[in-house]
Amino acid sequence: MATTKEMTVGAGGTTVIGPTITVNGKLSGEEDLTVRGRLEGEVTLSKTLILESSGIVKANVSVKNAIISGVVVGNVRATESVELTKEGRMVGDIQAPRVILVDGASFRGRIEMGEAAAGRAAGERASRPARGNARASAPPRPPPPPRAEARGNARGTVTPILSKLEKAPPLSPAMAGAGKKRVVVRKRER
Amino acid sequence: MANTVIGSSIVIDGEISGDEDLVVQGTVKGKISLKESLFVEGSGIVEADIETQNVEVAGRVTGNINASEKVELKSDCRVVGDIRAPRILIADGASFKGNVDMDAKGR
Repeated sequence: MATTKEMTVGAGGTTVIGPTITVNGKLSGEEDLTVRGRLEGEVTLSKTLILESSGIVKANVSVKNAIISGVVVGNVRATESVELTKEGRMVGDIQAPRVILVDGASFRGRIEMGEAAAGRAAGERASRPARGNARASAPPRPPPPPRAEARGNARGTVTPILSKLEKAPPLSPAMAGAGKKRVVVRKRER
Repeated sequence: MANTVIGSSIVIDGEISGDEDLVVQGTVKGKISLKESLFVEGSGIVEADIETQNVEVAGRVTGNINASEKVELKSDCRVVGDIRAPRILIADGASFKGNVDMDAKGR
């Protein structure tokens, strides 16, 4: 009698919206939510929203974490992080302390990481999908070598920082070692 | 089998529709229309009109149920509303208030 039910309970713990399901309205809860179908309206969760590649969310979303591989139309606000994977498509604004846009992701909208040191850079990161990686791999090491190289590679996109570097001492051979880092920096300048 | 699960801490206020089984462990208010089965588990609360093929209720349902095949009220469930389906099962211990209509032709 209860056997089929017990099996479905086993799948529980997290909530799943299957691929043919449409939910229209307000959804709130305190557990992970996986969306493979369609969700319209408003979503409020204290855990993670996982939007799979078949999923479509047309809603204002307020969660702790969001991992987006499907389509989002609407604003996403996360208390921890938002990640747009390579299959992710989104139109709307993101507000979260950590925002990760992977290569291949498509995004149109504003990003606000309004916390700590992110404030200054948040604006320019918004329009550049590669930034998530670049930021991670450009450590808080002493800046001169990479910047000097960046100047060499990114002529024409001179920033105030770079123009200051005109006065800096010329490249020393020792700096050549940091080649890979410089490539990253150069990407950032594009 | 059941792809879609509404977990116990989830509250949905609105409409759910689709072509697959739906398991409700949380709360759904509004309307549910499915081409397959709806399972309202012990922790589930549904305050909605339901239109499906099959319904199995172990939790609470307030609203009218319209099933094209079967409605099953398990023991310990509480249902308030009208039920319309060709086959209706009410288990010992179930609590139900409302009208029952098994007239297949009326559908």
